[in-house]
Amino acid sequence: MNRKVLGFGVALVVPLLAILVVNLGRDPQRIDSPLIGRPAPPFSLAPVGGGEPLTLDKLRGRPAVLNFWATWCAPCYEEHPVLQASARTLGPDVQFVGIVYEDQEENVRSYLRSQGSAYPNFMDAGGRAAIAYGVSGVPETYFISPDGAIVDKFSGPLDARSLADRVARTRAARSASR
Amino acid sequence: MRARLGFALLVGLTPALALPAAQATSAPDELPGIEDAAERLGPPGARPLSGAELEAETKRVSALLRCPVCQGLSVADSPATLAVNMRNRVRELLAAGYAEQQVLTYFEGAYGEFVRLDPPVRGVNWTLWLAPLGALLLGSLVVFWMMRAPKAPGDVALPAERPAAAADPLPDDAELAQYVLRVREQVYGWPGGVRPAKTGS
Amino acid sequence: MTPVLGRTLILLSLLAATAGATVSFAAARGRGQAAWDWSRRFAYAYAGLIVAANLLMVYALLARDFSVSYVAHVGSRSVPTWVAIVSLWSSLEGSILFWGFVLGVYVALAAWTNRARHLEYMPYAAGVWLSCAAFFSFLLAGPAQPFLTIASPADDGPGPNALLQNHVLMAVHPPFLYGGYVGFTIPFGLASAALLAGRLGQDFLRPLRTWLLVPWIFQTIAIVLGGWWAYEVLGWGGYWAWDPVENASLLPWLTATAALHSALLTERKGVLKGWTVTLVQASFLLTILGTFMTRSGVFNSVHSFTQSAIGPTILVFLAAATVFCVALLAARIDRLEAERALSPGASRDTMFLVNNLLFVLFTFTVLVGTVFPLVVEALRDKQMSVGRPYFDRMAVPIGVALLFLMGVGPALPWGRATAAQVRSALLPPAANGVLLALVGLAAGARNPWTLLTFFFGGYAAHVTLRELWLPVARRVRERGEGLARAVGEVQRQGRRRVAAYVVHAGAVVMMIAIAVSSTMGASREVQLARGESFELGHYTLRFLGAEVVREPHREATVARIEVSRAGRVLEIMEPAMNQYGNQREPIGTPAVRSAALEDLYLSVMNVDAEAQALGLHALVNPLVGWIWAAMFVMAAGSVFALVPVRRRPAEGAAAAEAVPAGAAASGS
Repeated sequence: MNRKVLGFGVALVVPLLAILVVNLGRDPQRIDSPLIGRPAPPFSLAPVGGGEPLTLDKLRGRPAVLNFWATWCAPCYEEHPVLQASARTLGPDVQFVGIVYEDQEENVRSYLRSQGSAYPNFMDAGGRAAIAYGVSGVPETYFISPDGAIVDKFSGPLDARSLADRVARTRAARSASR
Repeated sequence: MRARLGFALLVGLTPALALPAAQATSAPDELPGIEDAAERLGPPGARPLSGAELEAETKRVSALLRCPVCQGLSVADSPATLAVNMRNRVRELLAAGYAEQQVLTYFEGAYGEFVRLDPPVRGVNWTLWLAPLGALLLGSLVVFWMMRAPKAPGDVALPAERPAAAADPLPDDAELAQYVLRVREQVYGWPGGVRPAKTGS
Repeated sequence: MTPVLGRTLILLSLLAATAGATVSFAAARGRGQAAWDWSRRFAYAYAGLIVAANLLMVYALLARDFSVSYVAHVGSRSVPTWVAIVSLWSSLEGSILFWGFVLGVYVALAAWTNRARHLEYMPYAAGVWLSCAAFFSFLLAGPAQPFLTIASPADDGPGPNALLQNHVLMAVHPPFLYGGYVGFTIPFGLASAALLAGRLGQDFLRPLRTWLLVPWIFQTIAIVLGGWWAYEVLGWGGYWAWDPVENASLLPWLTATAALHSALLTERKGVLKGWTVTLVQASFLLTILGTFMTRSGVFNSVHSFTQSAIGPTILVFLAAATVFCVALLAARIDRLEAERALSPGASRDTMFLVNNLLFVLFTFTVLVGTVFPLVVEALRDKQMSVGRPYFDRMAVPIGVALLFLMGVGPALPWGRATAAQVRSALLPPAANGVLLALVGLAAGARNPWTLLTFFFGGYAAHVTLRELWLPVARRVRERGEGLARAVGEVQRQGRRRVAAYVVHAGAVVMMIAIAVSSTMGASREVQLARGESFELGHYTLRFLGAEVVREPHREATVARIEVSRAGRVLEIMEPAMNQYGNQREPIGTPAVRSAALEDLYLSVMNVDAEAQALGLHALVNPLVGWIWAAMFVMAAGSVFALVPVRRRPAEGAAAAEAVPAGAAASGS
């Protein structure tokens, strides 16, 4: 028995196998956002259909839900009614904002005409806001506290329940940040 | 996961875009892209770039960023829309005078360390450089040690009357040994494949 | 019916492999010739059954039999025949079935060629091969079953991944990759046999080397073809991105290359037996690691198959194989004693050791870089990336050092060398190195690593050609033979030596081409309206217009670009953007114009046929074609090494004088 070979082999191989075991079943697509708990990045977005641009400070004072979406995305289509219903039930004290990701305004307009919309949507020219928020696919939803900090981020389509939970937490986060 | 549903959905015609009354009052910023960068990064740390230099730097710096939707390709290489947008963003920041490190920090702030293809040299990441260096040192020591100490006694115990053979050892296999001699004869021009006796060490 | 037959074939192949492994180990433990005969019969039976299962699957794919689960998963009525056949390995279960096919062929061939030789070792080796075969049949019988019955089959299927339908190279690349990956099982079995037998004699090095060289050739071709495919299909203008799965294919190639060199030293001097065997074992383990990486969903990669229960099963196999290797090496390595000592100092021996050090360091670095994000994720719960900039920075110096060795190593004599010998061997090629570096400088190379590559490349080329030419020249001069005859005699008498230098020549060309193509290109991104043009390098490119072409399985928007140089129109290039039915993101098909010294590479970023607007990424990639050409040289050289030398009986006296064929050729 060559102890040197044994020791060296074990030292090389055991950590490698352990790491592989630990990582098994992890979703390699999941990326944690570094923005959580930090001030939301500012933006300036043109409304779909024209009008005055929206900037971050106009969202101050109320919790805000920023939903990045696109007409070509199937999960967004699933999520759309949930967002509309929640925007109506949660009332005017929560500001819902739709931000269109990599899409044509023309497509968005007809989509909204047919699907309806309970809150304003904005075009993100050049994907500036998406990049500032670290969006890597749609739908992605950010929850912003009344004083302008990102409380949570959700990737993928939301259901009514988890949306309501997150909004409640965003509301409570008022004094926690800053 | 993503299907081309958009076109199928153009059919219905429900008007009434439920847009609440405009809340906006201020005019759009002249450089909307820089605004949030300025807030996060402070004043630019380098001189503004332009022209060919800007293009070259954009290419170089965006090669250090990972395209978040493309599995391993860099922002410089990827044809994806997001990568194109990110590339434009890099260009804007460099044009505004932000330094390479600031640009990387900007993207890291939004996407996390994941977005950096070239991991920053800090904390545990030191392992990436120290482990291969350690392996190189260890390996060099082993090679050095092997080349110094003749381990097998065979080398020392070779018959003294055949110094040439000691200097130019042959394989044990007889056929092979003959072959090696032949190669030596052809390549070095030694008669019979044996090194001609010569003075000097 | 077909699914049931398929399942039966797979279960029988599992049975044959398991029984064969048991009988083989029994034969090795002294049960004699009868047991060995039976273990070979089981090996042939295994091969026959698994090959039959593959043929059945191909039949089902061609017949569009959607009652077979795998066909329902990847089959489609709208794809052409070649895509239907290629679908065999386009998805997870099928790729493991195909793995079985390749393994079956390898095991049968290796058992057959050694049926009456090396009886001391072969039963052990067959036992190891058939154990691996049993594992893969188990995988097919359970977690990766491709022959499940679909009770109410659909009328059509989705077809394979669009990326795989996009280029013919995708039909060629995987078979070569499997020829490499799977093939390392054979030398692994032989090396394990040497350890189990506690002996590695000169005679047994021959089959070990030959069966290591075969998968090495496949792997070499596969790696380059993979790069070629990426270049022709992915549209970003490069061929190697240090993607985890690309790294996975490189790792066993690196250790196997090291093993081929250390085996030479083992053969010459009877030294480093344990080390050679370790490298062979490592190559095999790295192929299994690579298989795990592609099939577990742990890595996010272009090439990955989707997540499934197959990952954990392969991980268990990897763990078991690793424990087996470490235990076996620890228990038996001391029995593989060195027969002689190495020659110290500036000798070729030293260069071989440094070569091995560098290859292992290369492997280790790539492995660390590939796995490190997983370590950070596990320990810190944080995602990070290790990408191309890191790997380039680490690999370039190692590559240049290897190029240096490729020049200096063969220039040095075997054994101890005097200072004068060293000087006269090493100095003359430097002139050629300087010459090539100056050529590079004149061509515009400014990157110091590229210039260094030119210098060492010129140096190594000089040494390589000198080693190839000198014996020929000597025959011509001293025996007055004609050139053709001299070349024929030299290659006949030292075929492996000649072959090795041909491979080296290919490698030198490839390394220079890689250095040049990655540092001396030019590129531009432009937005164009119809009729607009722009300049890149000495080309003028004009956008003539875009049109939509509808095909059954895709819709292509083709941009027409007029390429001219100095006012003369060279060609109309047609890069395209393809929209496949089952996918949102369109996939570009770049257009490549290859010339002797550079490629013009056009890739569509966005195109609108209605508005006649085009976003184009245009690159000039120098010497890329030389990489593919160099691959053919390396492949041809190494295949040449496998061709047995035949003695010409007519030559009477000359033949008696000549070296016996066996010494030069690599037997099996």
